[in-house]
Formats: sequence, C-alpha cells, structure tokens
Amino acid sequence: MNQTISSTSDKAASILEGEDIILKVRDLHTYFYTDIGVARALNGVNFDIPRGKVMGMVGESGCGKSVTALSIMRMVTKPGRIVQGDIALFRKKKGGENDKSQIIEEINLTKLEGMGPVMRSIRGAEMSMIFQEPMTSLNPSYTIGDQIMEAILLHQGVDKVEAEKRAINILDGVGMANPALVVKRYPHELSGGMRQRAMISLALSCTPSILFADEPTTALDVTTEAQILDLMRDLQGRINMTIIFITHNLGVVAQMCDYVTVMYLGRVVEQATVDDTFYNPKHPYTSSLLRSIPHVGSRQKERLMPIRGVVPDPYSAIKGCPFHPRCSQVMRGKCDAQVPGLTVVGKSHTVRCFLYSDTVEEASNVR
Amino acid sequence: MLNYIFRRIGYMLVTLAIISVVGYLIVELPPGSYVEFEIQRLRQQGGNLSQDQITALELRYGLNDPIYVRFWKWISGFVRGDFGESFQYRQEVKDLIGQRLMFTISISIFSLLLAWGIAVPLGVYSATHRYTLPDYIITVLQFLGLSIPSFLVALVLMVFAQRTLGQQVGGLFSDQYQTAPWSVAKFIDLLAHLWIPIVVIAFGSTAGLSRIMRANLLDVLGMQYVQTARSKGLTENVVIWKHAVRNAMHPLIMILGGSLPGIISGETVLAIVMNIPTVGPMYFTAQLNQDLYLAASFLMFLSILGVLGNLLADIALAWVDPRIRYE
Repeated sequence: MNQTISSTSDKAASILEGEDIILKVRDLHTYFYTDIGVARALNGVNFDIPRGKVMGMVGESGCGKSVTALSIMRMVTKPGRIVQGDIALFRKKKGGENDKSQIIEEINLTKLEGMGPVMRSIRGAEMSMIFQEPMTSLNPSYTIGDQIMEAILLHQGVDKVEAEKRAINILDGVGMANPALVVKRYPHELSGGMRQRAMISLALSCTPSILFADEPTTALDVTTEAQILDLMRDLQGRINMTIIFITHNLGVVAQMCDYVTVMYLGRVVEQATVDDTFYNPKHPYTSSLLRSIPHVGSRQKERLMPIRGVVPDPYSAIKGCPFHPRCSQVMRGKCDAQVPGLTVVGKSHTVRCFLYSDTVEEASNVR
Repeated sequence: MLNYIFRRIGYMLVTLAIISVVGYLIVELPPGSYVEFEIQRLRQQGGNLSQDQITALELRYGLNDPIYVRFWKWISGFVRGDFGESFQYRQEVKDLIGQRLMFTISISIFSLLLAWGIAVPLGVYSATHRYTLPDYIITVLQFLGLSIPSFLVALVLMVFAQRTLGQQVGGLFSDQYQTAPWSVAKFIDLLAHLWIPIVVIAFGSTAGLSRIMRANLLDVLGMQYVQTARSKGLTENVVIWKHAVRNAMHPLIMILGGSLPGIISGETVLAIVMNIPTVGPMYFTAQLNQDLYLAASFLMFLSILGVLGNLLADIALAWVDPRIRYE
C-alpha cells in the first residue's frame, strides 16, 4: 500500500524548487469505457502539488481537469476507471495534540480500493471537493446542518450536539449570516451564493489538507464570485490548506493561484509559477489561451485571437503531440510523429514541446 | 406540516362530496330501475304483477320522488352509517359488504407491502448494477411481469398449488372451515388460500414499480449531490440508500396513492377466476342489476379508499421532500 512511487517513475521528480510536495501524480491514465468506444480522458498526467499553495488547473472544456480531480479523490465511477498510474499523497501523521514530530507518511492512492475504508477515511477528512453547481451539489432532502454534520460525525467522532456546534462555527467562518438559523434550512431556501458558502463549509468541515475546487464560482454572479474567491484565499491562508483550483477563467487564476498547471487533452502540457505562466508562457497552447482573452488597455482595432479548431474528441487517439493539429508552430515530421517529453525550461517551469528540446516521452504500455 | 395536513383533509372532504353527487347520478343514469328489472324477472318466471303491487314496490323504494330527494335520503343515511338495503339480496348493505371490504383491503395491503418490499430493493440493485448480467435477467423478468395478465398467473399458480402442494384452491377457506368459528387453524387455512391472490397481484405491480425505481434512481445517481455525498467519505450503501434512493422515491409514492382503487378494480377478474369473496365481483353484478344502494355504497367506499390513499401519499411525499411542505 505504501509502496514508494518516486522509485518507480522518478523521471519527473519534483521540479517545484523549494516546495514541500503534498501530492505527486505520475503517468495517470483514466479511461471511460462507453458504448461508442473508449474515451481516454487522462492520458498520462504528471504533476506535483506543493503543500499550502494554490495550484490552478486550466484548459478548455474536456481536457481532463475535472477527471483529474475525481481520479485523485478516487471517485471515478463506472464506466470510468483508472487504468494506470500512481497518485502519492504525503500526509502529515496526526499524532496527539503535542506531537510536533511531523512525520510524513506516503500513501499511494491508486493502490487503494476507491470505495474501501482507507480511501473513505481520507476522502472528506484529508481531502475534499467543491463542485461547480451550487444549485445541485447539496441534497434537497436534508438540511444544511444535517449535511455538514454528516461529515463531522463520520470523521471526527463527536456527538451530535458538538457536531452541530462545529457546523455553526464553520458556517460562521465562511461569512454566512445567521449560521444558527441556516443549519435548520433546506438548500432550496438559500440563494446560489449562500449555497456555495454552505458547500464550502461542508468541504472544510473536517479541515482537509487538500481542497479541490472545481470551477466553484462559474455559476455565480461577479459580485458573489469575488466574495467567494476572497473567502477561499482567506481560508487558505488561515489553515494553510492546499487548494487545487480548476477553472477556465484565467483572470481568476491570476488572482488566486501560486502555480498553474495547463492541461490539454488528458495531458499536462506546462506547469509554472503564476508569473511565468502569464509573462513567460512556453507552450504554444498556453500562449494561445492567453492571447484569446481580452486585456484592459488593448487597442480597439486589435482583434482577439481564438485558438484554431476545437478540442478533438477523446475517443480518437492522436499520434504525436496532442496539440499539433491546432498548433501554429507545428513542425511536420516531428510533432505529428512522437510525443514530446518533459523539459525543464526554468525555475519550477516545465513544458512538453519539441520547440524546447527533443526529449521524447517513453511510450507507456497501457492495456 | 400540520397546516398542510389539515388543508389536505379539507380538500379530501370536498372531493368526496363531489364524488357522492356524481357517483349517485351515474349509478342512477341507466334507464329503468331495479323495480322494472325485478318485474321483468318475475314475469319471465311466469308470475304476473298487478299494478297495485308495482305501485307498492315503487312506493317502498321511493322511486317516484324527485332525484335530489332520493339522493338526500341516501347520503344522509350513508353518513349516519345506514347504507340502505340491497334490492337483489334483500339484506342490509352493511352486512353484505363488511367482510368483503375487509378481505379486499387486507389482500390489497399485503400485496402492496410485498410488491414494495421486492420492487424497491430490486430496482435499486438493477440501477446500481446497470448493464450487468443480473440487471438483464431482472429486466426480462420485469417485462414478463408487465405483460402476463394476472388471471393467467393465477391459473398457473392454482394448478401448481393443487398438483404440487396438494392445497385446496379457490375461495378463501377450505370446506371444513367455511362456517367454523375463528380459530388458529382457520387462520392458517386462510393464509394458505390468501397467498395466491397476494402473489398474483404483487407480481404485476412489482414489475412496474421496480422499472420506475430503476429509471428514477439512474437519474438521481447522476446528480451532483450524490458525488458530494461520496466526497464526504460515506460508504456506498449510505450514499445510495440515504442520499439517492430518498430522492428517487417521489414517483413511487405518488403511484401508491392512486394504486388502491386500481388494485381493487384490477383484482375483480382475479377474484372471479379464483372465487374469492372480495368487493370486485359483487360490485360488478350490483351495477349490472342496478342494485342502487349496493352499487352506490361500493362506489363511495372505493372513493374513500382512493382519496385516503392519496392523502397518505401526499403526507408521505411531504415527509420525504421538504420542498413540498411549503407550497
């Protein structure tokens, strides 16, 4: 179970300099076996997540951002399945109150059973998730309090009275007005912003060390979005939480994140600090993403540059670099023949592109 | 919640008042009356009735009163517990239908319990194991249950019970217990007879109910809040039964409300085939013979059952889904 994975595939040992890594994903493949074929949602994902930082994950719809989060949470359900890869969680052993020894234990999540007891004890307690749609992510049949208390009762071994007290405390902490009243309310009695605050409370109820936020503000209006983002930034600082922030809004990335992982068609194409991503993007896909958003102060006549074409469907396997059919700098005979390997191009900055080196990705033998 | 229930009961009373008027009109609607039917029967037997006798009969049953007077006589008696007298049987309606109604209700309730007890777990299983071999087998059985008429199942079971189990089938009691006072042995004898109609009725409705359960649960399993429940680290059983099934129950509960009258009328054919003294066959002949008070009383009782079933379903629905409590 605790087999070390850095030994099995250390070809991409951490490149995030000076960071304490909490999550290491190596060669992750998640496929969906549907009636019309096999959808290769994740095609060898590699990245590191630094502890206590906010990692943004960007990319167009269908590039595998959400599936990555669900795979790490081990919540991919049929017909989907993780077919290959390792996910290592480095968790701080929770000793007694005075235990300052900070022993870090490594757990390979892909070796665990998705619905088994160990994974369930991690899910909700060690890592949790906020979903995109606050309107539908809470169960309409139970009160807000019941739903938050459920996680507390499950993981923290306290009685109902104490659990309710904690639930009210958490709701108060996320800026919910009248928390003692809200615990008795049902989701349909709250507004979208309040529901998302309730959902955040639910996710934070057991003070997880990793929080996946899957487009948490997409369904909200800009004012509420700003409040929720402020709240998350504030909470992250207060309890030193690691946040993986999935979004396709680059403005939000600039505001929220320390690092950025850019995904394309089930692969990570670039990982860098937020500054490098915006001011020194390397991968043609990252540059095109940035060119396709409007800037304040750009001249009126200047047109936005959309990326040519659409994301190919995940059922067809593309030979070579997955981005080459849409790339403006494509090199025939190279990009369409082999998959580029990981190249370090700067401090904490990696990219997979033949423009920077000739490293070729070893073909992984996936069943 | 209490407010909601009281309002529902109010609606229920209004509905019943309307049903009593419309129902009475419909039962009265066919031309002629029981007296004419009776005269015809007597004439066929060779007897002849004098005009005096006819007038006496008409007077006795108040057939010359205007319809609203007759209606009032009947309904005011009905609410006081006096349901009138059956023309055909020359007996108080009360004595005629009491036991039959009891048998009907108990057969209905037992078969409903059986059907639900099987249908809900079956539907949940086939939804959570979609496109696996057991799911396909269940689906085939469900279509069989939906398509085989209940009287055929009854006949097959009757043959099976008699040939293989050596049971006496048909009716509710074996001959020796027919007139015997209630005893443990008689009760066991009743159960031995009762299982066939219960299984037959349950068979058909289980199939339909579990199809609905499967379809709804599949919808709910795709909902975001099911993923939320998983993300808390709950066991899959809790995720399915506490978070998904509860939200997939609505259509089933609504069906439950309307299914009581359905089962009673559906069971008529079965009761005729199996010679069970339930409400169905008697209601049927009462209407054929224009046995006014008997037919109208049956109609009222079935309506009361139907409306009551709906009330219970409404309350259950409000209990399951908080959004309904505040309309």
